[in-house]
Amino acid sequence: MSFRPLSPPESPTANNSNNHNQSMSRSSESDLSVDTDIIIGHLDPNFGSETRIENPKTPSSHQRNASSYSRNYSLLDFYGLESPSGDRESEPLIDASIMKGLDDLEFKELSHANTIFAKSVVPSPETEASVRENYIQPTVSENIEKILNSPYDRYGFRKSSTLHNITHDHYNEWFSDYSQYALRRKKKWHILMKNNGLHLEQEDSIPTRFPPKSDKVKKLIRQGIPAEWRGSAWFFYAGGHERLNKHIGVYSQIVRDTRDIHNKDTEVIERDLHRTFPDNIYFNSQITSPVNSSSTTLATDTSAAPPETPMIKSLRRVLTAFAHYQPQIGYCQSLNFLAGLLLLFMEEERAFWMLVILTERIIPKVHSANLEGVHTDQGVLMLCIKEYIPQLWAILGKNFEGEALSEDKILTRLPPVTLVTSSWFMSLFVGILPIETTLRVWDILWYESSKTIFRFSLTICKMCLENPDFQASRNNNKGGAEMDQIELFQFLQNFPKTILDPNLLVDNCFKKIGGYGFGSLSQDEINKCREFVSKQRAKLDHKKNNNIAAEMTDEERRTLISSSDGTFADDQSIHDVYGFHRSIMSGVIWNKSISNKMKRSFVKRKTSR
Amino acid sequence: MAFNSANNPSGGSDKSNILRKYKIVFLGDQSVGKTSLITRFMYDTFDETYAATIGIDFLSKTMYLDDNKTIRLQLWDTAGQERFRSLIPSYIRDSHVAVICYDITNKKSFNNLDKWIKDVKLERGDDVIIVLVGNKSDLANDKRQVTLEDVEALHRKVGSKFFIETSTKANHNVKLLFKKIAQSLPEFNTGDNDLLATENRANKPETIDISIENNSSTDVNGANGCC
Repeated sequence: MSFRPLSPPESPTANNSNNHNQSMSRSSESDLSVDTDIIIGHLDPNFGSETRIENPKTPSSHQRNASSYSRNYSLLDFYGLESPSGDRESEPLIDASIMKGLDDLEFKELSHANTIFAKSVVPSPETEASVRENYIQPTVSENIEKILNSPYDRYGFRKSSTLHNITHDHYNEWFSDYSQYALRRKKKWHILMKNNGLHLEQEDSIPTRFPPKSDKVKKLIRQGIPAEWRGSAWFFYAGGHERLNKHIGVYSQIVRDTRDIHNKDTEVIERDLHRTFPDNIYFNSQITSPVNSSSTTLATDTSAAPPETPMIKSLRRVLTAFAHYQPQIGYCQSLNFLAGLLLLFMEEERAFWMLVILTERIIPKVHSANLEGVHTDQGVLMLCIKEYIPQLWAILGKNFEGEALSEDKILTRLPPVTLVTSSWFMSLFVGILPIETTLRVWDILWYESSKTIFRFSLTICKMCLENPDFQASRNNNKGGAEMDQIELFQFLQNFPKTILDPNLLVDNCFKKIGGYGFGSLSQDEINKCREFVSKQRAKLDHKKNNNIAAEMTDEERRTLISSSDGTFADDQSIHDVYGFHRSIMSGVIWNKSISNKMKRSFVKRKTSR
Repeated sequence: MAFNSANNPSGGSDKSNILRKYKIVFLGDQSVGKTSLITRFMYDTFDETYAATIGIDFLSKTMYLDDNKTIRLQLWDTAGQERFRSLIPSYIRDSHVAVICYDITNKKSFNNLDKWIKDVKLERGDDVIIVLVGNKSDLANDKRQVTLEDVEALHRKVGSKFFIETSTKANHNVKLLFKKIAQSLPEFNTGDNDLLATENRANKPETIDISIENNSSTDVNGANGCC
């Protein structure tokens, strides 16, 4: 279902083109171990132990590992003990039929979860599409006219954005062209399906199975998946079916367990529910009645909460269940946007598992309590910018004082520009790029995995650098060096919003436009860089923390420790948390440019010490 | 948005002088109204809901002050969730002002001010102007959980420059907040007391809490960032 880390960068999927059928039927979770992101698996204790059987130790209670996966319900059992209902122990392993029964009895209001569960037992192409309310209108010419006349786009987002200078007309101008492009793509997809023996019942039915990975499929993916097929295709290529089939009924069970819980996570989730896509009709029921604006008076009764859309209810359940299932992450702001966008395209249970796949395999640790994955990935991105866009690095690779940053500084005190780019990784461009552009990146992301985020980040950076306004903004600034940077950050922050045409971004990324793109940046290189950066960060952080700690009073140290989510923990526990204790890198042949350079420079530094 | 304004910072009135830029960080718990405050100030608009801020947003606005001075405020809007605090040092580094916000209808957001203030002081010592802002004052009648006495006590304890209650929804005190921030910047504290005095008088009708005036006198030694 995906490529091996050592496959050639230009055709990463080639050697797996016939793997698809096997992986569909294979039941072992460990077939994920050959997936794109396996190399980074060691970053994640769950994943590492899940796939590397050489860690047979008894799990500590906060970790999920091989044994808990194979038993499926161990985590639930663990939580069951703490859950308010407290009756979990009396319901040990529940099989699917019992679960179904329970659902029918007790989950009447969870109509979505219920039906999802029922049909997810056996993914059946014929029934799938009709079960759930479809938020996404089919790509057919009759709908185009409708969308052109509506103030909302085909996903329910308000077309115009005053903050980003996009008007309704502006949007329509782009959409009338793009919708024709989308129609042509859909025809190509139909041909592809037919050539692969995947017949669609009707012209407008949504496939649940897709062709195995191949260069041809990859090409079409990069050109965009038909909007109404997206949920199904993302789920398929991300390995959702395998995950779901191994965890039948688990989602419903967690939802049931977490139904009435109130904790720190749910408190934060509640505050974010209505702050998730307030410009989308499926999330914000008030959007069509313009009660806002400056005419609002103090007398307005704000205590009357706006009616909740079904989408918000789904979002609450998914986020709460996720926080419960992944306690080392809990709830992190930005997960609301990820789950929210998934929910527009697929049912709750699937969205839940996609979130799990995302946070375990694609961007591990990015949403964890100390955001270490964000720091790691920003370190990697900075190294990539340094390597691939040196002209931009010359501008951004400085601290606020304007000093160029040395490599070890890049990794510990990240360049300030990472304050802008961090959110690209946390929200996977949701809210950063215009919606259709985001979706096109997601099409590729679920198929090609995490290198996609780096490739597109680099592409945005490069397009930004080449934008005449960026240069103008550079030259216009007359303040101190440090403040110039901030104005540039602003530009970099707002620039992605202007990329209304997804093809512009995609073509830039895969070098259809201009001299070079970033299609050659391989997953292998990203994986090794991630590995390297996280190791170095752990070492340097540890050292730094020790030094700081030595200068502090006891009280300060205690405060810091309690406020820093364990980053001040001692060496041993750092290893426990991040899984750095195994020297995975030993014996790996490391011949990629960045990785090599980094390794050399650090070896030098180490030996000179 | 800010992207446009970023294009013409030099298009302002001062051709000869360097436009003074000040970095102002907005901190405080999730959904107390940081983004809303900034949006009200930048665009004079208000929405019931804003998308949650992830990481950080950079905005800037040039302010023309009464004495023909022009300054540029660079506003850093931050995510409120606790775990984003691991990014805090970079937020706070080099900031001139830390605007620490709470929601007057949410006691917890007020109780957490201590932590935010500690973060700021850990990074900047006393080298930064701290301002306490209680937002959502339009809900004061029904839902107030934090009194002015509460915040005044905290203000004295931590030595903030001033405190103020605002309502972004009712557009109350937002302009005043930014005006007072501008006035507390080093440039305006070089003995230009006349300016301060006139400002305070002019703003009296707008001010809901008289203690603001009291503070501006008691605060002179409280704010160490003033010269």
